[in-house]
Amino acid sequence: MKIFRFIVSKIFLRKAILGIGMILLLCMANYITFAAARSILSTFQGYQETKYINQEGIYIANLDPESHMDMGLINENGTHAVYDYLNNNFNYAFYTDGFIVSIPNTDDMDISLGYMNEEYYKLNQFELSQGADVDFNYQFDGEIPVLIGKGLSTTYPVGSTIKMEESVLGRSITLKVQGVLKQNAYHSNYYALNSKTYYNFSILVPVNEEFMNHANIDLRLNGLMDITILQSTKEQIADLGEVIKDNLGLIFNFFSQQENYDYFNEYYLHALKIICIITFILLVVITCLSVWNALVGVRLMLKDFTINLLVGLSYSKLKKIFYGYFGILSFINLIVIFIITAFDRYGCWLRKDATFATYGLFGLIGMDWLALLLVAASDILIGVIVVESMLWKIKKIPISLGVLQ
Amino acid sequence: MENQKNSNFLGGVTMTKIIDLSVKEKIYESKKAQISILNDFKLEVADGEKIAIVGESGVGKSSLLNIIGLIDRNYNGEYTLLGSLTNNLHTNELAQWRNQKIGFILQESALINSLTIEDNIKLPLLYAGSEKKEFKIEDFESVVDAIGIKPILKKKPLECSGGEKARAVFARGIIMKPQIILADEPTASLDMENRERIVTLLFKMNKEFNTTIITVTHDLEIANRHDRIIQLERSK
Repeated sequence: MKIFRFIVSKIFLRKAILGIGMILLLCMANYITFAAARSILSTFQGYQETKYINQEGIYIANLDPESHMDMGLINENGTHAVYDYLNNNFNYAFYTDGFIVSIPNTDDMDISLGYMNEEYYKLNQFELSQGADVDFNYQFDGEIPVLIGKGLSTTYPVGSTIKMEESVLGRSITLKVQGVLKQNAYHSNYYALNSKTYYNFSILVPVNEEFMNHANIDLRLNGLMDITILQSTKEQIADLGEVIKDNLGLIFNFFSQQENYDYFNEYYLHALKIICIITFILLVVITCLSVWNALVGVRLMLKDFTINLLVGLSYSKLKKIFYGYFGILSFINLIVIFIITAFDRYGCWLRKDATFATYGLFGLIGMDWLALLLVAASDILIGVIVVESMLWKIKKIPISLGVLQ
Repeated sequence: MENQKNSNFLGGVTMTKIIDLSVKEKIYESKKAQISILNDFKLEVADGEKIAIVGESGVGKSSLLNIIGLIDRNYNGEYTLLGSLTNNLHTNELAQWRNQKIGFILQESALINSLTIEDNIKLPLLYAGSEKKEFKIEDFESVVDAIGIKPILKKKPLECSGGEKARAVFARGIIMKPQIILADEPTASLDMENRERIVTLLFKMNKEFNTTIITVTHDLEIANRHDRIIQLERSK
């Protein structure tokens, strides 16, 4: 240890520019690897989660980018007509969220209300940590059974009630906590699979027909944006599109299973491949630069290494010192990446950003740790290449009295 | 072919053989070609002997010191040092031997510029391990006093004169009280006064501690003060 400390402090760190250069290169490599790994993992999670919609007969609504939304033309009657048509002709999964409400809670977060119908609930198979499934056949004027995120479970344990002024109904309602979602339960965006909304500070409200009939236009219109039509055909969907256009003046696209696959493949699989290729190329370039940096270091420090070898240092000890030094640099970089991630995750708590607040050490979740593990693996790979290159260079010269002349 | 010219023989005196080197061939690889040196070279050195190695540049003087000093094992031959065959020793053992049995006295530039003179001199102690326990601070001070470098101990090499640096290199070479000292052109860039100082110190080590001295030098006057001169010649 004393020898390691001596070589690092008295020789390596005396060539500060080389150490800093190596740290910066490693930091770049680590950040690129981390960002790519997390993006891939998150997209993969999104794929897994949305697998259920890639089934025969399922179509997902999507507002056509060319469609002009004129709120003046959209009225209560129009939305009612659309939902009447939906109720009479289709099974559909309805979900919309982002309705913010302020209710007391231990973390003083603004709470996001999410609304879902029974079909959506069945498709998603929410995992609960406490309590039981919600019942959609509740009495509208009584207590509405809801699911809540883990962040609310201390303030509102299972069985407790929450009274609030509800915006989509425009009146005061009472919610009864039926179950608590598992920690860090999330919902992926259908069209941006690596984008997630976490339910830790959400309340999921079951929506039945009566609820929908009393809800305002905001809920019905927002719900249409991602509505998922089940067990349908292209022709039926085309008719639905026409009904929406006639009643609301909006053009909707409905993606079929194959179109969903094509869409995902074209945009996400392709994007993932590009991310992987670019990451690989950048890692190769950074590794080459690291090797070059290390070899320049060997040239500059060769005299010092030679003197140390003459007075008792061995090649095997030198090898251990190189690996130890590189391990420390990698560890420093891992800490930096950890701090950046923790700052990002914990920042959501500090900003009271309820939809991104996650539980874990400083808010780090499973995919963060897995991405950090991949970063550590890439560091080991780069470390082996750099250290072996340095040893190869030292042995190639080789160390001899001639070096000192 | 290398040629040994013995100017001083130890004939009739019984001394322990500490070096028994037999090199069939050493290939030196330059950028342009492979050069064969030290062909069929044999060297036996007795304990306490003083040997000078002379010869023109490129004949293999430093290569020979590299082999004797256990730095280079990339040659065809056998080397027995202090009764042990060194060819199969692990690199850690070789390093330990270099640390405790062999002292290198080199040109004055062979100091680490980022360390003080004191740290440069004490560098072998860092690698001494358990042997270090035998080392006493008085030993260091006696070496420093004998060589006359106390005033420069806290200086960095770049703040010292050539003579001072040469003496610091010398001090580092003897700090572990080695049995063998390998000196590679130790006086090459020194003025007459410092040259004489270093040579005197070198022979004092031999006289007081019976240290074996092997010196590579171009200086025939210094070579002639050794027990034996080995002249290396270029292969034909």
